[in-house]
Amino acid sequence: MSQRLYDLIGKIMGVQSSSINDESSPTSIESWTSFKGYVLLSELETEFNVKFTIDEAMDVANVADIKKHLKNHGVDLND
Amino acid sequence: MTAEHKLSYYINNSAKILETKFNKKIRIGILSSFTINGIKETIQVKSADKNIGCTTYVGAYNQYNQEIINIESDLYKFSPDITFLIIDTQNILGDFFHFPYNVSVLERKNFVEKKLKELQTLIDVFTSNTKSKLIIANFNIPTYSPYGIFETKTEYGFHQMIEDLNRKLSNNVAKSNSVYVYDFNRFILQYGENNIFDSKQFFFGDMKISLDYIPHLSNDLMKYVTAHLGLSKKCIVLDLDNTLWGGVIGEDGFNGIMLGPEPPGNTYVEFQRILLSLFQRGIILTINSKNNKDDVLKVIEEHPYMILKKEHFASMRINWNDKVSNIKEIANELNIGADSMVFFDDDPVNREFMKLNMPQILTVDLPLDSSQYAEILKQMTEFDVLNITAEDAKRGKMYVEQQKRNNLEQATPNLESFLKNLELKILIKDSNEFTIPRISQLTLKTNQFNLTTKRYQESDIKKISDNDEYIVGCAQVEDKFGDNGITGVFIINKINSKEWFIDTFLLSCRVMGREVEKAILGHIINLAKEHNVELIKTQFLSSQKNKPIEDFLPNCGFKKDGDYWYYTLKTPFIIPDYLEVNME
Repeated sequence: MSQRLYDLIGKIMGVQSSSINDESSPTSIESWTSFKGYVLLSELETEFNVKFTIDEAMDVANVADIKKHLKNHGVDLND
Repeated sequence: MTAEHKLSYYINNSAKILETKFNKKIRIGILSSFTINGIKETIQVKSADKNIGCTTYVGAYNQYNQEIINIESDLYKFSPDITFLIIDTQNILGDFFHFPYNVSVLERKNFVEKKLKELQTLIDVFTSNTKSKLIIANFNIPTYSPYGIFETKTEYGFHQMIEDLNRKLSNNVAKSNSVYVYDFNRFILQYGENNIFDSKQFFFGDMKISLDYIPHLSNDLMKYVTAHLGLSKKCIVLDLDNTLWGGVIGEDGFNGIMLGPEPPGNTYVEFQRILLSLFQRGIILTINSKNNKDDVLKVIEEHPYMILKKEHFASMRINWNDKVSNIKEIANELNIGADSMVFFDDDPVNREFMKLNMPQILTVDLPLDSSQYAEILKQMTEFDVLNITAEDAKRGKMYVEQQKRNNLEQATPNLESFLKNLELKILIKDSNEFTIPRISQLTLKTNQFNLTTKRYQESDIKKISDNDEYIVGCAQVEDKFGDNGITGVFIINKINSKEWFIDTFLLSCRVMGREVEKAILGHIINLAKEHNVELIKTQFLSSQKNKPIEDFLPNCGFKKDGDYWYYTLKTPFIIPDYLEVNME
């Protein structure tokens, strides 16, 4: 299930999805700019049909955080 | 309409665009009062799709005032061809956005006038410092009002303030040929405030337009880009069965086809109405159909619910030939480039065949559902132009007159007697406020009979006309079938007292093949003689499309030397006697 998330992140950041893991972050992926971060949040909402709160949106430091917030909305990628 | 991509598609693809040989190039400046990231990449990709190499400059966040007022700014250094200025309502209204009812009606009115003055100052500074077109967005009228449902009972209320601002802004620039108002408010209406405005993105990133809608906004802005570059489509080629009416005339018969007030016949009636409205603003309509001609003509002439009549079609190919051959014939007959044509056909096989053989033609993917036809046509941006002239409105009629000329040509044994029969009258006119828009339009659109293919915006023509070293003129061509309007342009640079240079010489395809060029050149030569000029110099700048003018210079007595062609005024020049040339 995580693959779907990694694929989306890979696509938006323009990197191989195989290089993405839960620790991936703006620090480890050079192309993960703040703007790409906004694009990612917007496209995550469409892809998983969720709406993040602004607190969640601001609390994304890495991929694990995204998974945590998706789980809040009933999307559990670690199934 | 076709589904739009996500923003990430454009961001990723913009990185792959190679700045290689695009046919056209454009420089776009974008100024806004809010974060509008992603628009640059989207416009670059959408431009590349249309074979346009696009360079963009996005002004710093909310720095539009400084960018415009400081004549040393990066915007002016960038030297854009088109500049978009998008200011959001909250930004322009300031405190009035939340607290409009804190002040009196008079104060609200004064405030709007003050803002209009500020905008006008920006516009004036901009236009006096750059040749760029300015596309200024109007202001979104939010659904919200601090007064709620009482808003509509309030004198000069919150919504009226913005309406007034929008109306006056449009009025202020209506006469300008370089400033346009983009109806941003209508854009929000089209997609819905709740979709476009995402509170989270706004508070988190100051994004007034949610990222999903940046591609849609870019589509709107692209209309100005293609129109500026003269890439607008001119001609619609229509299939008939299941396109202009429901059913198949050859099988269902005159009474069996679906066309009329009942569904689904009403969908075709509506589609035809939209086509007619396009015809009325100058788009040429033609037919390309596999059918028995008599069956079809009976429908066109006699069906009570046909909106489009015979006089609306500039060319008809109703036969059993393949549609690609037919469309090539139509292009030849009308003397227009295939890349200015749009093809409508319900049959996916025909469409595929067309796309494969004629990729330069825009083949529209019609859905199975005919109720979508009119909507698809209404949403097409390819016909948009920055200026609709009197000539445009008459164009459809002119092409029908053209058909009559063609009939005469076929009935007349040789070209000279045909031309004599036409009773051609050429009226040479100076450039002035009435002719300048059309002169510019012809330089932007004419490809075939165009000596140098130099493109001039209206502001350029105005500037050249005001310069004493230049002569800018045009020719209106009339014959016994009707008025072709202004269809020829020439621009002469008076290099010195002995030598003139023809900078631009062109004829619209509408009047090609009638020796009108000789009348115009004859006029130039006579003018040169009056001024005691000894030599006329010019250039033939070969393009992909201007082969028709290739032999014009040698045929008229010009001699080539190096890159230039020369005509000495001693060479006799005779204007064919069947051309009547007058000056206004």
